[in-house]
Amino acid sequence: MSDAHALEHHEPVTSTGIPSKKVLMWAFLGSDCMFFGTLISTHLIYRKISGTVGGNALDIRDIFDIELTSFSTFILLASSLFMALAVSAIHKGNLNSTRWMLFGTIIFGSIFLACQVYEFTHFVHGKENASGDREHQLTLKAYAGESEEPGKDAELKPHVFGSTFYVLTGTHGTHVAIGVFWLLGWLVYSFTGKMSPADAMDIECCGLYWHFVDIVWIIIFPVVYLMEYAF
Amino acid sequence: MSGHAEDTLEEESKRFFTFFNLSMALVAITGLEIVIIYVQTFDGATIIATLFATSIVKFIGVVWWFMHLKWDKFLNTVLFLMGLVIALATYFAVIYMADVHPEVEKFEVTELKQEWAAGAEYSKGDYVLYEGSYYKSKEDHKAPEECSLDSWEKVQGIPHRIAWKINVADLVEINSKSPANPFFHLDLPKEQENIDESEVFLLTQSATTEDFRIKVRSEAYWTENQ
Repeated sequence: MSDAHALEHHEPVTSTGIPSKKVLMWAFLGSDCMFFGTLISTHLIYRKISGTVGGNALDIRDIFDIELTSFSTFILLASSLFMALAVSAIHKGNLNSTRWMLFGTIIFGSIFLACQVYEFTHFVHGKENASGDREHQLTLKAYAGESEEPGKDAELKPHVFGSTFYVLTGTHGTHVAIGVFWLLGWLVYSFTGKMSPADAMDIECCGLYWHFVDIVWIIIFPVVYLMEYAF
Repeated sequence: MSGHAEDTLEEESKRFFTFFNLSMALVAITGLEIVIIYVQTFDGATIIATLFATSIVKFIGVVWWFMHLKWDKFLNTVLFLMGLVIALATYFAVIYMADVHPEVEKFEVTELKQEWAAGAEYSKGDYVLYEGSYYKSKEDHKAPEECSLDSWEKVQGIPHRIAWKINVADLVEINSKSPANPFFHLDLPKEQENIDESEVFLLTQSATTEDFRIKVRSEAYWTENQ
């Protein structure tokens, strides 16, 4: 039915009858699927290997803040509803509603990003224990015991879990940030008075991207976070 | 407005309820996932299977309704599935192309109950039981006829020999199942093939092989003997 909208608004279509922009967006999302598939696979495979850091056992549950991550997951799911309603509103030609729904998506997307920044900051700095030392830090390198060479500082070794975790969730966060800027562009555009139902296909493509970011998080949340609590 | 446009308006209005219901369902399923983790009633495999199933349901829900695949041409679904199938194939290929699965060929925990004996040859590090206490030899020596503790030091705990033989591994974890008899040993073998090692450890209580667990890793594979 959305393709029929496009035809009505004289969107250029491919020989398949699907608007070119939409074909391009779905092809891009298919390739992005492979990209995230690789990152998630890498994390899962190395998660099995990186149970320890230089011989020191590591409990990821001491690092994670599952309440915060659960909250940001609900926020991202809610943002997807706003986005779907924004697409629906522009198809109906209701510009005021489109504007509000875009605004809602931007706000919820920004809250998600703020949660991620807060989370990363706390993971890197860890928690302070009773003696004032920092512990439960998640960085790209980790303390792996005394250096074998006398006189040298404590040895830091690459921490596989930290690396794959930050690359995966950071890449997703970057996608969210790009989505927020894209939506922000549409929100600003809506105030110029030029926005019309003819822009429905462009906003729908933006919506496809936003929902894709949501489904990636639907996989990341249980696989990267919740699974740590399964055993 | 054309008749087609009016149809569109009506359909879009109907979709509002679809989107709202879907959103509520997604929130409810995510809530369920978190509750499952919090209550910890189920075993790990059940939790993972449930998380896997709920994720698929949520994934399909968003793609099918929010992303309009239900109403779009089938080609869009094909384009997306191509990427998804390749992503999944990559994961399984990496998993199955990896190395040999590790196997624990032998795992034994034996309490050392050897009594001190006059005239016996002892090496440094040997343990003996003498008058209800355990002693460790400080040096290589031959025991005299009359017992002397000069070459021995008394130890706290009960010595146990733990032996393991594994075909291939880069990490070995051994731990006690009993909290009253705590023990954890981590080994990163330098030679990762045909590992045949044994060590003596002091334990709080007497134990047998059944009281211990060995967990072995080789690349991405874990093997566990309960």
